[in-house]
Amino acid sequence: MNGYGGQILRVNLTTGKITKEATPPDVVRDFIGGRGFGAYFLFKEIPRGADPLGAANKLIISSGPLSGLMIPGAGKCDFTTKSPLTGGYASASMGGHFTAEIKYAGLDSIILEGISPKPVYLFIDDDKVELRDAADLWGKGTIAVEKHFKEKLGEEFQVAVIGPGGENGVSYACINHDFGRQAGRGGVGTVMGVKKVKAIVIHGTKSISVADVAAYRKAGMALYKACKDAEGLKDWTRYGTTIVTSWCDEVGALPTRNFSAGSFEGGKGLYGQTMREKIVITDKGCFGCPSPCGKYSRSKKYNINVEGPEYETIGLMGSNLGIDDIEAVAQANLLCDDLGIDTISAGNAIGWAMECYEKGILTKKDTDGLELKFGNIEATFELIEKIARREGFGALLADGVKRASQKVGQGSEKFAIHVKGMEQSAYATHNATAMLLAYMTCDVGAHHNRSWAITYDLQVGRDKVVPEKVARVIWLQNFRPMFDVLGACRLQWVELGIDRDLYCPALEAITGVHRTWEDLEKVGARIWNLTRLYWARENEGFGRQWDMPSPRFYEEAPKTGATKGQITRFEDVNTLLDMYYEQRGWTTDGLPAPATLEQLGLAELIT
Amino acid sequence: MRLYVDSAKCSGCNACRVACSLDLFGENNPKKAALVIAPRFPAPGVYEVKVCTQCGDCAAVCPTEAIKLNDKGAYYVDFAECNLCEACVPECPEGVMFVRNELANTAWKCDLCGDCVSVCGTSALWIAEKEPVAV
Amino acid sequence: MSATLRPSGALRSYIGGKDEIAVEAGHTVRETLSALNIPPEVIALVVVNEQQQSKDYVIQEGDVVRVLAVIGGG
Repeated sequence: MNGYGGQILRVNLTTGKITKEATPPDVVRDFIGGRGFGAYFLFKEIPRGADPLGAANKLIISSGPLSGLMIPGAGKCDFTTKSPLTGGYASASMGGHFTAEIKYAGLDSIILEGISPKPVYLFIDDDKVELRDAADLWGKGTIAVEKHFKEKLGEEFQVAVIGPGGENGVSYACINHDFGRQAGRGGVGTVMGVKKVKAIVIHGTKSISVADVAAYRKAGMALYKACKDAEGLKDWTRYGTTIVTSWCDEVGALPTRNFSAGSFEGGKGLYGQTMREKIVITDKGCFGCPSPCGKYSRSKKYNINVEGPEYETIGLMGSNLGIDDIEAVAQANLLCDDLGIDTISAGNAIGWAMECYEKGILTKKDTDGLELKFGNIEATFELIEKIARREGFGALLADGVKRASQKVGQGSEKFAIHVKGMEQSAYATHNATAMLLAYMTCDVGAHHNRSWAITYDLQVGRDKVVPEKVARVIWLQNFRPMFDVLGACRLQWVELGIDRDLYCPALEAITGVHRTWEDLEKVGARIWNLTRLYWARENEGFGRQWDMPSPRFYEEAPKTGATKGQITRFEDVNTLLDMYYEQRGWTTDGLPAPATLEQLGLAELIT
Repeated sequence: MRLYVDSAKCSGCNACRVACSLDLFGENNPKKAALVIAPRFPAPGVYEVKVCTQCGDCAAVCPTEAIKLNDKGAYYVDFAECNLCEACVPECPEGVMFVRNELANTAWKCDLCGDCVSVCGTSALWIAEKEPVAV
Repeated sequence: MSATLRPSGALRSYIGGKDEIAVEAGHTVRETLSALNIPPEVIALVVVNEQQQSKDYVIQEGDVVRVLAVIGGG
């Protein structure tokens, strides 16, 4: 099959049985690849009511038709599972080089099933696939384990590895790769840890076939030319996502002290320019990427090397915790990476804990003596370790901010900043209704990657609640995640602003199938509705209440910063949802209507 | 003319190596590329790139005269004439003479097609006149 | 008396689709953007003669001012 590895690898960890099957053409036709495969196998194969931490859950790892080819950003891998953090759909996208190697090994997806009786790692070298003993590696940090495999097997092997966080069942454990890339959110690393898979190492020497080599080379070269000609290429490469730090501070989107404000008086210590000057040594990129966003850094203060910190980590481990030192954020970043926990969820949860402490809801008695005041760097480092090891107070936070606040109570639920149990990522949304709606309706919980709409809010009017805003959010949600389906990065379109129509001739020359962006967005809508149904199937009473944002965004206007005194009205929260459900073709309680499912070709799959 | 690289600008993306395998073999397989990117992580945290300098040492030692000059004045391997004796491999000062029996029935090297330069987003690669070597 | 403003790709619609536009020296970047109906708050980065500057930088004759908006986000 042109553009594809051609096979699905299934690993039953309970029995040790390893099998392969041909990648199904009808799944390719309707779901294309990457995240699309993840959603399909999630819905079809994980039984209703499965315990995310049980043997019936699966971890579905998928490459896409653009991965591993001469296409900008062709380095994205999707990890889909039932989330131990939220109880719903989890999909995390990991950059680097892992996805390319999946294709070179002749595969499209790797599906981990069951639970291994003892720690193992999955070894894939072309057609040789084995489960090998990982007893010596269990308990070790991700950096040391990846280094071990690179030295033992050679640089051509690509490594995906969990840390103690995943081994200890932290609800937001991540999977690490290439010394700095993660499948970060939703607990995909937790599921890998429950299954006792320490790592996946993969090497392939096959070539990826394409339908029309000449047309593909021409289309690929046109994409690279567009990237290299883009006005902002140099700036983007210099700063990566840290290009937005100062701007977010300026417009009130920088989460500060547990999202109590959107601007931080210590912001300058975290800005992209400061970071570049102080610690950055290498611009590090994913497979095929002409605009490397990775900022590999060296902190002399802490004597560490780390890829990052990236904007999200700067927001959640910096300003959100009242920390103004970029080197401290870099150290927090490394701790999370090595221990294998998501920096976004961890930073958000620690911010919540700090607010509890400052309010006297938690005292030193509860926090194992840690003085959890905003700005306490050492306490932050210690708490990250405790979370990863589920030690003492860390165990409470390891379950996520929703469960932690339900346990602690005393009004702390009101400032647990999450949607559907996933901690909100690094954009404060006190007065930015499109972005607020984006967080409310994101398919994995409060994550920004589907629909980033802050500039749009500023252009159209931040507090406006109009159908055009809702239409914009829906369009972005149908369109942006299609890059995760294709197995390539969206940031060349998002940040460099290249013409997205350049991808279509490339995709057609590779797969032999003609698809316009209208066709692709229909697949996007199909996946969106399928995963919405999945949430409903797995969660009794699922509906509008699950789309509600944290009360902080409609009850507590910031007292400082660019959004001082500004807050969304509660009525507007519901109006946004009314408009959203209507435009999506859903019921007034937020469930896909039968006619919508019919139109998207889902009626048969869901029965 | 020859290929030059500034390793400090390399991001490790490997676009150059996919482009290279496409030019040499018509395949998407960066393991069949004629330049090397060596990642040095977690420390010192840089990529080291080796490229062909068109020094000609490989051609001088090839017993079947399979390494010839193309119209760009660059040395390339004529796949039909290579007998896989591997004499060229240790001669190459940069380690960019490739023989991998599991991947191809020939040695291969850079033919100065320039596609790597076209896809390199950080301008780490460029083609220019060979600078005279100090004696 | 002029300088050059070069907005990033997504902003070119504000200047009729062109790559660059001549602007008067002596005004701040912020004032110059407002005069072109580009909302200053959408600009994430200002680079003048390849040096990063703030929006309050006063444009000098001969300056090449690049402005980048974060249209797409993260």
